[in-house]
Parts: sequence; structure tokens; C-alpha cells
Amino acid sequence: MTTLTYRQVLHDTLAQEMTRDERVFLMGEEIGVFEGSYKVTKGLLEQFGAKRVKDTPIAEEGFVGAAVGAAMLGLRPVVELMTINFSIVALDMILNHAAKIYYMFGGQTPVPMVIRTPGGGGQQLAATHSQNLEVFFSHIPGLKVVAPATPYDARGLLRSAIRDDDPVLFLENLGVYDVKGEVPDEDFDNDYTIPIGVADIKRNGTDVTLITYSRMVHTALEVAEQLQHEGISCEVVDLRSLRPLDMPTILQSVRKTNRAVIFEHDWRSYGIGAEIAAAIQEEAFDYLDAPVLRVAAAEVPLPYSKPMELAAMPSGEQLVSAIRKTVSKRW
Amino acid sequence: MVDVIMPRLSDTMKEGAIATWHKKPGDEIKKGDVLADIETDKATMDLEAFDNGVLEQILVQPGETVLIGTVVATIRKAGETASATPRVAVAPTTIPEPAVAAVSAAVQAAATQVQVASTPVGAASSGRVKASPLARNLASTYQLDLHAIAGSGPGGRILRDDVEGAHHKGNGYAIAAPETSVVAVNAAVQSVVTQVQAIASTPSGDEVEIITPTMMQTTVARRLTESKQQVPHFYVSTEVDMTEAVKLREQLNSKLGEGGVKISFNDLVVKASAIALERIPEANTWYKDGKFYRNKRVNVGFAVDVPNGLVVPVIRDANIKGVRSLAKEAKALIEKARSGKLRPEDYQGGTFSISNLGMFNVTQFQAVINPPESAILAVGAIIEKPVVVNHEIAVRHRMSLTLSADHRVLYGATVARFLGQLQTLLENPFELLG
Repeated sequence: MTTLTYRQVLHDTLAQEMTRDERVFLMGEEIGVFEGSYKVTKGLLEQFGAKRVKDTPIAEEGFVGAAVGAAMLGLRPVVELMTINFSIVALDMILNHAAKIYYMFGGQTPVPMVIRTPGGGGQQLAATHSQNLEVFFSHIPGLKVVAPATPYDARGLLRSAIRDDDPVLFLENLGVYDVKGEVPDEDFDNDYTIPIGVADIKRNGTDVTLITYSRMVHTALEVAEQLQHEGISCEVVDLRSLRPLDMPTILQSVRKTNRAVIFEHDWRSYGIGAEIAAAIQEEAFDYLDAPVLRVAAAEVPLPYSKPMELAAMPSGEQLVSAIRKTVSKRW
Repeated sequence: MVDVIMPRLSDTMKEGAIATWHKKPGDEIKKGDVLADIETDKATMDLEAFDNGVLEQILVQPGETVLIGTVVATIRKAGETASATPRVAVAPTTIPEPAVAAVSAAVQAAATQVQVASTPVGAASSGRVKASPLARNLASTYQLDLHAIAGSGPGGRILRDDVEGAHHKGNGYAIAAPETSVVAVNAAVQSVVTQVQAIASTPSGDEVEIITPTMMQTTVARRLTESKQQVPHFYVSTEVDMTEAVKLREQLNSKLGEGGVKISFNDLVVKASAIALERIPEANTWYKDGKFYRNKRVNVGFAVDVPNGLVVPVIRDANIKGVRSLAKEAKALIEKARSGKLRPEDYQGGTFSISNLGMFNVTQFQAVINPPESAILAVGAIIEKPVVVNHEIAVRHRMSLTLSADHRVLYGATVARFLGQLQTLLENPFELLG
């Protein structure tokens, strides 16, 4: 095993997949000469040339649409949207075209493309640049949405996303690029994949299930460790995929612990957590010993001011208090 | 007008007594004022006012104990006029009419009557139970009635731990519908208990034979454990003079025609108990979950010793049946019990039980209440012994009666009156023929 950053793993995996399959190419703003806003594509222009690492104009609808066309014609584009906030500009291409073409044209052509894009707040980028829009995409049938939290999962899921015949939103987070983690050494296991739609139990526990994904996984694990000293045993389920959702794993865990807290970076209402909470009560009602709780961001446009931004984002403290509440006998 | 109620000041508190009133009618009351001292089962605590106003009436006097929720005083708020009619303290546990109606309706319809969980009584009268879905599911698995389990969760919600606790401790009402209604004949229970203890303390079979109890024995063990743990038993004994009853029985049985059914002493005791229950309806009332359920019918069960257990067939409306038809019914029930042919309607719906060990020459004993009933009568053997009658020593037929009663619903004086009625009836047995 080698310890690498999430950023490095994305870079390496893109390079490997481009080497493995010549149909794979990259498109995005500043990914070539500038080597990417987050340096994921560092060196790739030099390594693969301008035909396969394409700098695009600032025109998301245009280049996402071009990727849809390329995918329909047999290539495997991997688009980098500089931030998920810019996906709004390309929304028509994503949800009307990428997601629906396979259905609307009777399965004549799949759209095998990946859109990589980071989201999340905490960087003082203000309201329009700090959003978590994953629920928008998870809502759309026809799209697959993954949001890995660790370098290991990022590698396995990026491979699956690139090799998948459906359009996949590959959600990164500004807070995870520098997360380090172990990945198998290149020499003997360089081709593992993680299936899309399979969650991972990142920590076993017995008292309450924490359901989370992406950056919040790390906070949840810290909180679980902290609460272990109080005798509260938390099981941490990392969704990894937001669509399809791995309800069997979630339900199995909730049936074991009888309590669930959902922890997400996104806004609270109408969210991923709302979906999971509803599904839990539909499928595991008789196993619940307490209401399912959600911890999510304050429902405000994220403020620019750092203290206010932090106050609006979901925190480990809020998670701790929700867990204490759900396992406590007196609210 | 604002009601001041007896508050619930601890988890175990069911009732409280007013120790002292610190205010008197007409006093100005400010929110937070200490109105009275309340004695609970644990401590004396302040009763504070939650409203401003004038103390209108004191409904519960110092020294009186009332159930939680009882209105103990009223406060007149600013702008309200004084109440014209004085009120009285109303205990919240008075059995509501609709519940009684529901009971009778269920009785009429199903003829299985007031078995706790098998009729809509619980649901109709006890209201919604707050329980987590998991707790409900577990209670159903363990066949426990949530109404009998205290919730430790937010707002009193019943949680998994509460149900598990009740299950392990044997608390909680069993949902008794399909089970055999059983009662204590101490000897039989003792043997079951002894067997269970033997199993518990002796891991190997070298010195003991390990016997797995039958379903009936398991049910006896569980239900009577629950009864003894949850029902506060108290015992009142008396001795009755059966000399006249012995004579009457001889007369009745000597004139039997061909095929006639002999009347046993037990039949006389069943009949006497039924009449006594009719006269003292408090004794025909049971307690559950903070409410009293007064039976409108008198259905007397009597314990029958059967192979590997005991059952309690029930004679319905024993108060209005003649002794002969009662004896005939009892004989048929005993035969059915001994041959294992009792049907649920034969043993369900009892409101009172009798356990008679007279035939074994036992002179006196105490029985365990058969829930949800509130009393069981233990009947000893009729023995001849010297007693003082009219200042002279005479040999008389004497029989001991011991009533085990649920102190949550029955009190000493009620039980004494009930036993007094029994005594009168058995000592003047012609009354039983009426």
C-alpha cells in the first residue's frame, strides 16, 4: 500500500485510464496549460497531448454539450467543471441530454461520459461559489452520481465511472483534495474498481448509524472516535454513491443499531438526507427506536464572512449533539 | 378558571397527599408561589402555581391522598367571576362510561369478556401509547402489552430498553388472549417453580431429572411471576362456620333423583362468592394502567388440578344461576378440564377466582392472583373443631377463607366487607338458594 492524496489519486487514475483506453479524453477550463484549478490534471497535457487534454472556453453549456455528442459517437469524455456551481450553466445539457438521450432514443446510443466537479463551502468563496448541488443531479433518473470520500474510493469509483456506459457525475469536494489515504501499490493491484451504488461501512458500531458521504465522512469518523470514549458506539456508513443509493447497506445497519443520523454538507430540506430518512422509515420502520435525525447546512446562501460561513456549515459539534439526542432517553 | 392538579413528581409516583396548604381561598396567587406541600412516595415537595390569580377553591384537604392528575384546587384568573357551585376533586382514574360500554359490548359480542388485551378495552380506554416502532415490534414479539410498560424515552416514549427490561424482569401485561387462564394452587405452582429452579441451578443431569415444562406450566410460571412481582398482594383471612352448609348440602344431595348432580362445597363457595361480588362490586373490579375496570358481570373461575398443570374454568353469571345448574355446569367443566377438552370460552373472561384445597385436607393457604383479576379466594378444608357458641364449647364444622387482593384497587376494609358477606352467606346457606 502507498499513502497518497485524493488529488494525486485522481491524477494518477485519469492518466491510467487514458493509457488503458484511447477513447478517454479530458475537457475543461484551464485543465491543460494551467494544469487544472486544483492541479488534478498536472502534467497530463504534456503526457497525452492537446488532442486528449482539451482546454475549453468559459462556456459550460457548450463543452458539456460537446462531451455529450462525443460520448454518443463513441468516445469517453471526462469533463472537469471547475466547480459544481458552474454546472448550473450546463444544466440543460446534463439533465435534458446526457441523462435522457439513451431513454429517448430507444437505447440506440449510450452516453458514456464523466463530469468531475468539486463542490462544498468553507473556502470563503461566497454564496454562488460554495454550493453543494449534488441533490439536483441525484434527483435525475438517467444520471449516476458518486461522491467518494477517500483516495481509495476515489480511484475505484473514478475507474468505474469512466468505464460505465451511463453519464456519471463524479463529485469531489474542495475539502477532500488533500486528504491522504492508502491505496494499493501499483505493481500488483492497480486495476481494482468499486462498483457504483455500493456503500461502505467505514466504521462498525452498535448504537447509532451515521449516514454520510464525501467530506463529511471524515468529520463523522472523528466524531465517532470521540463518542466512543463516552460509550456511544457509532457505525459510519459512507454512501460513496448517491444515485443509485445503496439502501440495503443502510437498512442493514439501521436494523442493527435501531437509530440513524444523516450528516450531509448540503442544505437540509428536500435533500439526500430527507430521501434516506424517508426510505428508512418505509423499509425499516419496525426497527427504529428513535426518529431519524438530519444534520445539514443552515438554509441560507453561504456567507462570505469566515465565521459566518463556518456557522452555517454543518459541524462535528452539531453531529455530536444530534447523536447524543438520538441515543439519549431525554431530549 | 385554572385547575391545579396533583403533579407527577417522580417516575414512580402514582398518587400524592397534600401535606399543608400555604394559601387559603381568596389569597392572591402569583405564578411560582408555593401553594402547598405535597407528600409523595419519596419526599415532600412544593406545589407551585403556574398561573396568576386568586385561589378559588381547595378541593383536597391536608392529609388526603389523591391520584396524579386529580384537581386539588382551582385558581380564578383576573376578570373571571367567582364560581357559583363548589366543585369536588375529580380523580382522573374514574372509569369512563364509554370504556364500560366498550367492555359490555365486547362481552356481549364475544362472550370472552374482559380479557385485557383480547378486547378493545385497552385501546378504548387507555389512550395512545407512545412507543418507538422498534419497541412496538419487540412488545409484539414478546407478547407484552405496551400499556403496562413505563417509557423512559423522550416524553415517556417506550424504547427498546424498556421492553427488553420488562421482558427480562417479567414485567408488562401478557397479551393473554390465546393462553390458558391459570391460577395458583400453591402446591402445583410450587412444583413447577421447583423444577424451574432445579434447571437453573443444576447444570448437569446427574442428580436431577431435567423436565422441560409444558406450555401450560411455562404459562403458569410466567404469569404468576408477573402477578407476584407487579400486583401488590395483601391477604385477609377469616374462618366461617359451615355447620349449616354441611346440613343443607346433605339435605339437597339426599333427595337427588336418578342422574342428578351432587352439589359440592365448592359449588356453594362459588355461589356465595358470586352473590358477595354482586353486593360488593368494588371487589369485582380490576386495575390496569392507572384505571379501574369494574366488571358488570360476575364470572367466577375455580382452579382445577389437571395432569401437569392447572386450569381455571369459568362459570359465567354465577350470581344469577341456581345452585343446581351451577353445580351441573361446574361438573361438566371439571370433566372437560380433566380430559383436556376445555375451549377458550370455557376458561376466559373470569372476573374472580377460587382455589380450593379443602379436598386435600389443607386447612389454610394463600393463593396468587390470576391477572388481570384483582382477587382470589383460597378455601381450606372443612374440619370439625371446638369453638365457643353461645358461651359454650361446641364442635362445629369450620372452614378457613383467605382472600388475596390487589391493593391497587382493593383496600382492607373492602376485602373485610366482602369476606363478611361470604361468611354471612355460607353460615346462612339458605340464602344461596334464592
